[in-house]
Amino acid sequence: MRSMDIAATGMLAQQLNVEVISNNIANLNTTGFKRQRAEFQDLLYQNQRRPGAASSDQGTIVPVGVQVGIGVKAAAVYRITEQGNLLKTDNTLDVAIQGKGFFQIKQPDGTTAYTRAGSFQMSNTGEIVTADGLVVNPGLTIPADTIQVSVNASGQVLAQVSGQTQTQTVGQLELATFPNEAGLLNVGNNLLVETAASGSPVQGAPATVGFGTLQQGFLETSNVNVVSEITNLITAQRAYEMNSKVIQVSDQMSSSLNSFR
Amino acid sequence: MQAAAYIALSSQMALHRQIDVVANNLANSSTPAFKAERMLFAEYLNRGAANQPVSLVQDLGTVRDTKQGPITRTGNPLDFALQGDGYLQVQTPLGTRYTRNGRFQLDGTGQVVTAQGYPVLAEGGQPLAVPTDATDITVTRDGTVTTSQGESGRLAVVRFPNERDLVPAAGGLYVTEATPVAAPETVVQQGMIEESNVEPVIEMTRMMNIAHNFSFAKDLGDSESDRTRSAIDKLGKVS
Repeated sequence: MRSMDIAATGMLAQQLNVEVISNNIANLNTTGFKRQRAEFQDLLYQNQRRPGAASSDQGTIVPVGVQVGIGVKAAAVYRITEQGNLLKTDNTLDVAIQGKGFFQIKQPDGTTAYTRAGSFQMSNTGEIVTADGLVVNPGLTIPADTIQVSVNASGQVLAQVSGQTQTQTVGQLELATFPNEAGLLNVGNNLLVETAASGSPVQGAPATVGFGTLQQGFLETSNVNVVSEITNLITAQRAYEMNSKVIQVSDQMSSSLNSFR
Repeated sequence: MQAAAYIALSSQMALHRQIDVVANNLANSSTPAFKAERMLFAEYLNRGAANQPVSLVQDLGTVRDTKQGPITRTGNPLDFALQGDGYLQVQTPLGTRYTRNGRFQLDGTGQVVTAQGYPVLAEGGQPLAVPTDATDITVTRDGTVTTSQGESGRLAVVRFPNERDLVPAAGGLYVTEATPVAAPETVVQQGMIEESNVEPVIEMTRMMNIAHNFSFAKDLGDSESDRTRSAIDKLGKVS
């Protein structure tokens, strides 16, 4: 029976939906995490009677046909790039982006990855690195004997070195934007990489046109909304149950056919 | 003589197709802008033995319930819900298609595209694009797209005098040869999405009904078979 296969596509789709929702909830406290949403589409339709077919030799036509859809498929899992809340941490090297843009991270293989998680640290040589020890482009080194580091809204990193009255400019943090942020590929560890769908990165300083501003001492929280995730989870679960009910009913119908005398 | 068995059969065939339609509706209960389908049945009169009319059932067509689905907020600036009977136009390799699923994205060149990557058309039939360095995309209720770089065009929202002319073509797209007309009364809502208009309660009760009707038809077929057998038994005993 076709209805069993149709309901099976429905169950598979809802299963993916639950997986996406559970990943969102699991990343509730992940810095800079963007929630995702599974997107579904109807599958092909089978024409059993085409609309517009002639119904008599007088030229009358069938106004509506018999078209049976054959289920649902997952079209995409979207990342919703809404800004997360800014959480005050007072940590010197916690930097949040307010607005558009990504920090550029140098990966061990030499390629560049992008992130909005600005929870940076200092390496043993004084370089600004991510929590995984990857260098933040363009690779700024905080001088030894620095008492205080400050990052201003336009991305300039300034250091107050012990024994000096003037602050010293260490360098400039740059951001990158993409024509289609949703097209970036998640590679885990809060990192995203460029794809053909995202377009090429446009680099620029924070607080210039088209780029967000930086906030030192803050982190961008994930933009997951627990309440809406839980309601989505309930809806997905019920939809899953309903599809499994269709399979049960189809099964009953088939078994009654088998007992036909 | 065989009429009862065939009536039961025609009913079972029709119910068999109807449960496919219900299954498809339930499977698409989370598909944005999906419209529930209904089976349309008609009586088919047949002249049986002794010229007695016998009515069989025929599935005449599927009709789409074009009722507006609930609108929910997504917060994505490129999600659009249509309020009213309008459709958005999408350019596919097979020609122009129509959709109410306004879940769009930008591609690498700044074109507004669907999840399948098909460009969305602006008024005038050109693909809608925004400058690649544009930020703050806002869309007004009449579909005008404005970014930090100024106005980028207007979403082409169209309607059809007869919505039934549109035939579903998978992926939330519809195809038709009818000529669309402008739909100024349809409102574009940014950051919102139209959900599927499938009502699970109705589909579930419909499904239960189908299951019951199916077993009635089966019982009819069974008792008809018993009747025939006993008739043969009794008539066969010629004393």
